[in-house]
Amino acid sequence: MSAGLPPPSGPPKPQVKGLNCPQCGAAIALRSFGQAVTVVCGSCHCILDAKDPNLAILQQFEIKTSDIRPLIPLGTRGKLRGTDYEVTGFQRRSIQVDGIMYCWHEYVLFNPYKGIRYLSEYNGHWNDISICKTLPTADFSGATYLGESYKHFQSASANTDFVLGEFPWQVRVGEQAAVTDYVHPPRVLSSEKLDKEVTWSIGEYMYGREIWDSFKLPGDPPAPMGVYENQPSPVSLNVTGMWVAFAAFAVFLLVLMAVFDMRAKKEPVLEETYQYNRADARGEPSFVSDEFALGGGTSNVQVKTSAPVDNHWIYLNYALINQDTGQAWDFGREVSYYHGYDSDGSWSEGKRTDSVVIPSVPPGHYYLRIEPEVDPTLPATPYSVSVVRDVPVFGIYGIAFLALLVPVVIISFRAYTFERSRWSESDHPPMELSSMSSGSGDGE
Amino acid sequence: MFRKLYLLYGALVLSTAAFGQYRGWSLDTVNQLKNVPKSVRDNPGSYRSVYSGYHHYTGGK
Repeated sequence: MSAGLPPPSGPPKPQVKGLNCPQCGAAIALRSFGQAVTVVCGSCHCILDAKDPNLAILQQFEIKTSDIRPLIPLGTRGKLRGTDYEVTGFQRRSIQVDGIMYCWHEYVLFNPYKGIRYLSEYNGHWNDISICKTLPTADFSGATYLGESYKHFQSASANTDFVLGEFPWQVRVGEQAAVTDYVHPPRVLSSEKLDKEVTWSIGEYMYGREIWDSFKLPGDPPAPMGVYENQPSPVSLNVTGMWVAFAAFAVFLLVLMAVFDMRAKKEPVLEETYQYNRADARGEPSFVSDEFALGGGTSNVQVKTSAPVDNHWIYLNYALINQDTGQAWDFGREVSYYHGYDSDGSWSEGKRTDSVVIPSVPPGHYYLRIEPEVDPTLPATPYSVSVVRDVPVFGIYGIAFLALLVPVVIISFRAYTFERSRWSESDHPPMELSSMSSGSGDGE
Repeated sequence: MFRKLYLLYGALVLSTAAFGQYRGWSLDTVNQLKNVPKSVRDNPGSYRSVYSGYHHYTGGK
């Protein structure tokens, strides 16, 4: 009657099965029940057959270095992405590229209901790995898995250097497997060929802090070094969107420019021509203009000066003074124009006109105080002064354009350098790097 | 995240540009003074510009 129903106490709790190593007699804890195919003695490092009740010795290896310690100790339990797991196995693997050995670590995680999954760690970069549920399609350039395209990153021969704990396959130290990685950050699709058997796995990038929090490990995770093959770029996803936003802003800026140009009054309020005579100016050279009114609201005021100088200069000390409030804007402007001919040909410098825009001038009654200074070699010269109220300042749009452009350029450059770092470690390094390495190779 | 921040930043830049145009901002620098006496209108020499005595460029190439 009760057949098919779970026992009243619920599903059986995972328990550690105690055994002894046939080589050294040390206690061996079997944590993953029937899932373990091999188990490694932590004392003498014998690889034992976990399926054999007598734990037959399959391989014995010597540790070449005592530095190999799992960052997550075996037996540690934690909740990884919502599921409880226990670390049951650890191995160090390596590949050799151009004479340089690259090592990484893999952890076997076990849950009695969910089965096995893996964590890998390389220079502080972590991946949550599980076996593929369906067979990916792959060629040299890339692979497709569950409708997602992956780019080929690297193919290499991976060696197993060190093992500890339990493994759901016949693990051996010194074992060589052909591994190929395809990336689609933050995921990596890996094929591992051992003899004639190919295993596909899918990994997703994880940050060390997530692992530490999941397993409640003390201290801080090792800081990641460099850019890993499937590490998500902090900026890449935003680059296209930011350029689109920039284009929209640039169009809006053009519209803004057109609208403000159309609504600018550009109202001339003073236009006078004066004559400077050195003989007349022996006393006080300064004088004031006629009074003029600036209407409307607060706006800018443009003061334009022009003089027919020819290899001479004229300098004007200006003060725009509000007759009612005594507020003044003081500024000096030079008009100079020089030209000539030398061994390089003809040249010229300066202009016969000058313009200055005084910002945010309130409405009121104004006059200009003008104090001219003229090249001592010039006895007399006419000059014109004109005052225009409310003119568009296109430089503001230029600054706004640059302010909009600079962040996009910085983000694009960061994205470019990030991807360049990523692919420099692959079988397909960026063009400059590959030509540099081939160039140095030729020279040797 | 970056895109949202950039959208906010861009909107701020455009708003500032529009406000600057509306208020008559300028890129030129001028010296602003207060309380210039009314007597300057009749006696311009009583006012001295801060730019007086400016050292002028006196020749071309």
